[in-house]
Amino acid sequence: MLMPLQIDWLSPLEIPIIRHAFFGLVLAGGMISLLGVIIITFNLSVIRFTLMHVGLLGAAVTMGLGLNPTTGAFILIMAVSVLMGSLGERINLSINAISGFFMTGSMGLAFIVLSRYQVRAMDIFGIFAGNILFLSKFDLILVALLGVLIVGIFFFFYREIQLVLLDKELATTLGVPVGRIRMLLFLLLGASMAISLRLVGALLVDSLILLPAMAALPLAKGLNSALVLTSIFGILSTSTGFLVALRYDLPVGASVAVVGCFFLMVSLVFQRRKVK
Amino acid sequence: MMSSKNFAIQCKGLSAGYDFKVLDEVNFSVAEGSLTAIVGPNGAGKSTLLKVLCGLLLPLAGELFVLGQPIKTNRDRLWVKREIAYLAQVQAPGKLPITVFDSVLLGRWGRYFSGIKMPSKTDRERVEEVLRLVGMEHLKDRDLRTLSGGQRQRAALARALVRDPQIMLMDEPTTYLDARAQAELINLIQILHQRLGITTIVVTHQLEKNWDFTSRWVIEEGKLNLC
Repeated sequence: MLMPLQIDWLSPLEIPIIRHAFFGLVLAGGMISLLGVIIITFNLSVIRFTLMHVGLLGAAVTMGLGLNPTTGAFILIMAVSVLMGSLGERINLSINAISGFFMTGSMGLAFIVLSRYQVRAMDIFGIFAGNILFLSKFDLILVALLGVLIVGIFFFFYREIQLVLLDKELATTLGVPVGRIRMLLFLLLGASMAISLRLVGALLVDSLILLPAMAALPLAKGLNSALVLTSIFGILSTSTGFLVALRYDLPVGASVAVVGCFFLMVSLVFQRRKVK
Repeated sequence: MMSSKNFAIQCKGLSAGYDFKVLDEVNFSVAEGSLTAIVGPNGAGKSTLLKVLCGLLLPLAGELFVLGQPIKTNRDRLWVKREIAYLAQVQAPGKLPITVFDSVLLGRWGRYFSGIKMPSKTDRERVEEVLRLVGMEHLKDRDLRTLSGGQRQRAALARALVRDPQIMLMDEPTTYLDARAQAELINLIQILHQRLGITTIVVTHQLEKNWDFTSRWVIEEGKLNLC
């Protein structure tokens, strides 16, 4: 049975490590989650899954070499984002086929590397589950910068992104640089996946990036409201999830995921009422 | 004899394609203000011709004039994209939440606003006018995803018109619509053509009986012939 720890809800935030973790998670929930709207409306679900696996390979290689796994995940995810973005344009292969190649290849290589270097099981578990309490001040700045970049791109290229999401063919005939916008979104997605791996781990990246957008889209009337609602759901699920995890001594990533699922359920109930 | 200035579009010995020629020395002209059909089976070169006329592809050889201007460089192609509006087949609803009003407003992108230049009051007023023209003003706040195929295609027509184009290109505009929606759309396009006088080219693989074209061209194996 869940027993609350004998502490105030907010008192742990006085400890710098916990404060960094809280703000890092809430910033990511409020801003990085906006990319979920792109993933769903642009049908990029397979890509995010692929990038997750690629991140595991990057982390495995750097762990094998005794280096920081986040760095390896970040570098490899960014490289594959660029490669997948340009391969989709150049060769006549569907993004699903390209994803399949990178996904299975990365997983296979990751397990070979982990076994070859005899990486400890707990370290491997760390990649899957993440560890937000290791978030440094530098990491926090990185999350904030990426978030501001994402919000800025949505602000300055709002109509262009809206056009590409509405109809790629129409956007091309009107002269929107569809290829460049697509590449930009791939890069942002890559960077977000890499940072989210650190925050909540590979298994729960979706709780940060996908769940808030999934809850927001059925209720939204336009892209604007979809973005605002996504941000609200992101902030609510990360902050509530974090505080509940502290209070009941639970893993943070898992707690955020469960709260995110709760908001998704509430949204679907509201959508059903709207339809009726 | 008509000069190239009296034609909205004129091709002289135009060849176009990719690694191989799809259109081979095509001679073709469309009078200003006309309603023209280009009919041909799949694989005849219709899509390539549309890409050239839309400014998405430069000719490999020959001459292309749009509104009297020769189209030779990438800069010319960008100019063509501003002057021409494009209506494709009805699209699947998609997952983007967007109101009919906002989706029509996007038709003015690149000509009246883009990037940090926001849509103006005039842009919004023009959207209202065009929605009235196509009989969709009562649906302006509806989510595009909730409309029928015929309604979505009327919204797409409004999106093309709101650009204030001099030429409209339509690629199989009635495909995937039921018989009633097809007849309604054809009727609407013809009424608007008579009222606004915009040069309109309809590319299709099959001509429905309701159309009343000024001229008809047949495209077959990369060659165009007047019929």
